Amino acid sequence: MAQISHVKTLQRREFMRRASALGLSGVAAPWALNLAAIGEAAAQAAPTDYKALVCIFLYGGNDYGNTVVPYDTASYSSYAAIRQSIATPRAQLLALSPKTALPDGRELALAPQLGPLKAIFDAGRLGVLLNVGTLVQPTTLAQYKAQSVPLPPKLFSHNDQQSVWQASNPEGATTGWGGRMGDVFLNANGNATFSCINVSGNAVFMAGQQAVQYQISSSGAVAINGITKPLYGSQACSDALRSLITAPRSHWMEQELNRVVSRSVSAQSIVSSALGGLAALKTPFDSANSLAMQLQMVAKMIAARSSLGAKRQVFFVSLGGFDLHDFLPDQHPGLLSNVANAMGSFHDALIEIGAINQVTAFTASDFGRTLSSNGDGSDHGWGSHHFVLGGAVQGGRFWGQAPVVAVNGPDDVGQGRLLPSTSVDQLGATLASWMGVPASDLSRVMPQIANYSQKDLGFFL
Amino acid sequence: MLAQGYAIEANRSSFVGADNSIWRKLISSPDQLRQRTVLALSEILVVSMNGLPVAWRGFVTAAYVDWLEMHAFGNFRQLLEAVTLSPAMGVYLNMRGNKKEDTATGRVPDENYARELMQLFTIGLVQLNLDGSPKLGSDGRPLETYQQAQISELARVLTGWEFDNAQASDPGYARRPMVHIASRFSPGAKKVLDVDVPASADGPAALKLALDTLFNHANVGPFIGRQLIQRLVCSNPNPAYVQRVAAVFNNNGAGVRGDLKAVLKAILLDDEARKAPSGDAGGKLREPVQRFVQWARTVGLSSPTSLWNVGNLSDPATRLGQSPLRSPSVFNFFRPGYVPPNSLLGSNAVTAPEFQLCNESTVAGYLNYMQSVIQNGVGELKPSYTAHLVLANDASALVDHWALLLAASGLSAANLNAIKAAVASVAASTDAGRLNRVLATLLMVMASPEYLIQK
Repeated sequence: MAQISHVKTLQRREFMRRASALGLSGVAAPWALNLAAIGEAAAQAAPTDYKALVCIFLYGGNDYGNTVVPYDTASYSSYAAIRQSIATPRAQLLALSPKTALPDGRELALAPQLGPLKAIFDAGRLGVLLNVGTLVQPTTLAQYKAQSVPLPPKLFSHNDQQSVWQASNPEGATTGWGGRMGDVFLNANGNATFSCINVSGNAVFMAGQQAVQYQISSSGAVAINGITKPLYGSQACSDALRSLITAPRSHWMEQELNRVVSRSVSAQSIVSSALGGLAALKTPFDSANSLAMQLQMVAKMIAARSSLGAKRQVFFVSLGGFDLHDFLPDQHPGLLSNVANAMGSFHDALIEIGAINQVTAFTASDFGRTLSSNGDGSDHGWGSHHFVLGGAVQGGRFWGQAPVVAVNGPDDVGQGRLLPSTSVDQLGATLASWMGVPASDLSRVMPQIANYSQKDLGFFL
Repeated sequence: MLAQGYAIEANRSSFVGADNSIWRKLISSPDQLRQRTVLALSEILVVSMNGLPVAWRGFVTAAYVDWLEMHAFGNFRQLLEAVTLSPAMGVYLNMRGNKKEDTATGRVPDENYARELMQLFTIGLVQLNLDGSPKLGSDGRPLETYQQAQISELARVLTGWEFDNAQASDPGYARRPMVHIASRFSPGAKKVLDVDVPASADGPAALKLALDTLFNHANVGPFIGRQLIQRLVCSNPNPAYVQRVAAVFNNNGAGVRGDLKAVLKAILLDDEARKAPSGDAGGKLREPVQRFVQWARTVGLSSPTSLWNVGNLSDPATRLGQSPLRSPSVFNFFRPGYVPPNSLLGSNAVTAPEFQLCNESTVAGYLNYMQSVIQNGVGELKPSYTAHLVLANDASALVDHWALLLAASGLSAANLNAIKAAVASVAASTDAGRLNRVLATLLMVMASPEYLIQK
């Protein structure tokens, strides 16, 4: 019953499109024909150009201190004194020369493994976002200490802060800002299924009120062998299998399961045919790097944007292993190297397919970490530095305020846990505005944005 | 693992043998309920092969499973202590090597185990009523159980622990609880929640006080009880069911707290477990590992070499998208509070943890993998259907047979009939035809939504 009333709230054309995407109209439909017709219909709607956002989520809480490192001698010596054995030697760092210098003689450098990102920074297509984190509203250290303003729930907890980053609410949240952006643009896309595409595993970031995340593997959409070919030699069994796994059900869990299968089946034929028509990417991606393989699939899907009827898309990829309470000096460099190489290849591929100005990728993570060392690693923190990459970005610059490098300093809530000076709400609103979300819809995407006077961080050209 | 000769130098930095040992137990060990409970516990007190950079890591993993097995029907307090002092958990959440603060360098104790011991293994983030619902403050928001400062305090309590005589040439330490090194222990008075740990308490005494305090917290019964229900029976248990189980956790009837045998009995013999659920939100999505193990046990999968080379089934596109003791993080494959978005489950706030693994890739990966293994087995592990070929002459009886064994006859008449009709259309005049009937029956039953949603 709830389904029917839900449908009433959707426009008819959108319902038709979603019905197709959800497999309600039968999965054996001639998809290529449907697609062409739908694509044509959608062309009448705004927008006509193509844009995509790519969220690169670093699961576990990236250590900001060893990613974007204080470089001017005064700050570096504070950093080295605080971090002790987990500090990176200054001589190994990649000093950044921004187009606009930071105030007070502050300088920052990238970790030695981030060479590919430095090159993109130098080319003006990578910006560094300083001290971003979850907030409810602008918050001073005094307000934090007095608990006089609302704070994000369950700070420093992995699963909850992942969820707050992605969805503004702790674990159990059901919509995230990537998905809510997808809601705004469902009408723009020829096939709503391809509005929010996840290459990494279910993430609340990608779930909207209506937009449903579509999961694709790094090697493409997975066909179900038992229904694409006779099952153990029997077409009748294959047909029965198809019906069993795609028929609507009344039990909510059975219905959800079969809905996912139906979407898998219908999208797979479209994706496989769209990707099959592409020339192979010349840009190399490291097949041993899981993040690189995910971003390669994103690049392929973007290359196939026309045949998928896509105008506005949100993608999600991820890399885990950042929760380095121990082994930070051993393991963090390898992770950073994978991030930089994957993003470097993705950047090159976007240039190759002519989409560099239409795609913006950004990093995100549960939280930053402490600046203090616990001997071999760092603990859960809050604010963190992040990267934003693309031809539409005013790169070669720092955005936001560089935090003072100190324990018990003006930006520290304890052991070098940064009180964020820029909020995820502001970051999300800036990205949403670039995507074309109208100002009137911003609070639909980022519900807390009304709490901030600065709603656009200004890092787009 | 020693008996299979895995303790050789070449395996010192690998997990070789760990998957084998885990699959052997899950598939062939006769104490099925214990194995099922161990799998459940391994998804609450999580240790994962993704994150054990230590010598003899395969042995460390297998020893951890042994400890879960040893205490699965024992007392939660002893289980908690065994887990805390296991080299596996010591490495995974870094209590091993955790040292006292150093005021000269600013180094502070590692907070990882302190945090997750409270958040995930005992009390959780918010204060709970006996039925698992959150206690609310005057502002209507859930009351938190602790603050960051209390994590930092507990981290000091948990300093000083180290492997017991770890030798590069010998995996033996994997089976020995960690030992305490007094010189690394944080001096002075400490606190565990609001309980004082006097400066006079040495490391082991302080740990005992910490574990006792957390174990006796009123949250543990509903917090752990609800998760065990979710792992064993249903995704979204009624509060009254949680309350009945939590009450048994608090007191097994003989005045004992934390008696897991009594808790399991209360979970499995409860009316809500024994009766088919009413309504559209009952039951649970069987997790992929469970489906595979159930198939393997039901068809009597065996390992001619005794090596049980099933391997790592984590690949979401080509295997199960899940493999025991290989969770991506300490937050398990899925969270107890996961609510599938964009669904009737979501709009009705129904928790359904296993759906966190369910997406367009994994549903296809599962069906393809099962299609292959039902026919071919896994490497040397071959299913034998010879005894079932006679039954295959009667499609109806064949389908009923497997629907009973795999789905407790939970398939609707409509779906049973559809499967029977399809199976009956396969000629049964040869053994090859009869075998195809068996294979197709197995896959179709295991693909049915009424099988996959266990009720």
